[in-house]
Amino acid sequence: MNGPHRPLTIDLTSDSRNLFREIWAYRFALWNLILKDFRIRYRNMSLGMIWSILNPLVMLGVLVVVFSYIRLTSRPDAHFAVFLLLGMIPFNFFSMTLPPSTMCILDNAALVKKVIFPRHILPVSVVLAQIIHVVIQFVLLAVFLAVSRVSPNLAWVWIPVLLVVELGVVLGFAFILSALNVYYRDTLYLVQSGLTILFWFTPIFYPLSVVKTSLKPWIYRVYLLNPLAGIIDSFRRVVLEGKAPEGLPLGISTGVAVLLLLLGWAIFSRKERHFADKI
Amino acid sequence: MTTNTTQAGKQPIIQLDGVAKMYRLNKKKPFLVHDAVQRLLGRGTSGEDFWAIRELSLSIQPGESLAVVGGNGAGKSTLLGLIAGTISPTCGRVTVSGRVGALLELGAGFHSDLTGRENVFLNASLLGLQREEAEEQFENIVTYSELRDFIDVPLRNYSSGMQVRLGFAVAIHIHPEILIMDEVMSVGDQSFQIKCSRSIRQFQEAGKTILFVSHSPGQVSQLCRRVIWLEHGRLKREGPTEEILAAYQQKSS
Repeated sequence: MNGPHRPLTIDLTSDSRNLFREIWAYRFALWNLILKDFRIRYRNMSLGMIWSILNPLVMLGVLVVVFSYIRLTSRPDAHFAVFLLLGMIPFNFFSMTLPPSTMCILDNAALVKKVIFPRHILPVSVVLAQIIHVVIQFVLLAVFLAVSRVSPNLAWVWIPVLLVVELGVVLGFAFILSALNVYYRDTLYLVQSGLTILFWFTPIFYPLSVVKTSLKPWIYRVYLLNPLAGIIDSFRRVVLEGKAPEGLPLGISTGVAVLLLLLGWAIFSRKERHFADKI
Repeated sequence: MTTNTTQAGKQPIIQLDGVAKMYRLNKKKPFLVHDAVQRLLGRGTSGEDFWAIRELSLSIQPGESLAVVGGNGAGKSTLLGLIAGTISPTCGRVTVSGRVGALLELGAGFHSDLTGRENVFLNASLLGLQREEAEEQFENIVTYSELRDFIDVPLRNYSSGMQVRLGFAVAIHIHPEILIMDEVMSVGDQSFQIKCSRSIRQFQEAGKTILFVSHSPGQVSQLCRRVIWLEHGRLKREGPTEEILAAYQQKSS
């Protein structure tokens, strides 16, 4: 009967917790939550994972058709699909992750009320589960790159850096929104409206250079506070032009990512102990 | 941790000092903009305070088995939640020194679209098991639950009794030092209940601490020597099982 012992007690009320150690101790739970996330998402679908290619393909198709008639960009047409995809992949990761992570504490209300574990692993699992879609969309991108004869170059070493910055942004938002939704149940609606607005204020179907030339410098800086702007522009420079990212946009994005992550972590860690009372 | 448990009698494994838990009951829909305006005007928020637990102090020694009795709304589940750590106290201190296995609900987090096997791993990992421990215990869990033929079937095809059996099987294989149970033993059929009782006795023999809520006087007197009686969130009485149970039954009949 003398089972394995792990000298870790979790006390949500303690101010001197070692959260990283707790989360590390619950890494197997985190892994199982990720598995659960996509098992229940795909088990009852006839097309399963294909949707994560189909959705962006439909969107891509619409945008390509529309903008073949309306020229907003000076890009050569062969690159236009790739250009769009490089804007859509970062935006999709963001827009597909935020609604489920907003809901994650409420969706797991039974767990939060009855089982003690570091609640941080709930939003983290939702975010990590979405990475599979990014991978699938990168495969799609690879196909388009091959078709439009874009060959790999040394600047591609920036890609993991950009993904980490985006992961920081998404995780930061996931912590903030999931905690906020416990107190204000209309957060999801706010997120959905926010994402619709953000679609237009993100350089997806237009290049960042157009924004730069058509706005006053200070308004351009405000625009760059949307962390996706710097990330997408950097992706395009790296993949299409083989150049290193521009300093200002990526710098602002990284700064925003760090701030969001710190703020989200602080809010979530402070509020976590009250979740069970409020749901 | 293990050495602590063997030096019985000196250091309490669970200690509550002046613990209280207050809930704010929102009578109206929580219309938060309205609340914010009210607060700005200095009128305070809507809602009433409800004290689920008031000024409770309690210490439990390692190896002790303790039952909590009391009517509905007496604060039994809140007390267990406070000790398990899922509920944080409004004031006072809760000190627990040992790995807690809290069975506040069997199979918490079970998902009907996942198979028995997938749910076992999910549930066991959330209760604190690592991958190696879970893989090591998996066979025992399946054998104990007697659900081998159904282990790869989605949980929605299980009867409620089968789900409870699976939940209990996971729970007793996580080997906690403190086992907290909220009326989980009153479920399942007769043969399963006998099996539960046997497992709990093995726990006691291994020197583990047990804290449970039960509405069955038979079960209480069978399993423990000390009982606490809660009423309206206060400790009404505590003492030897026969004495407290007799008083409690007299009061409630």
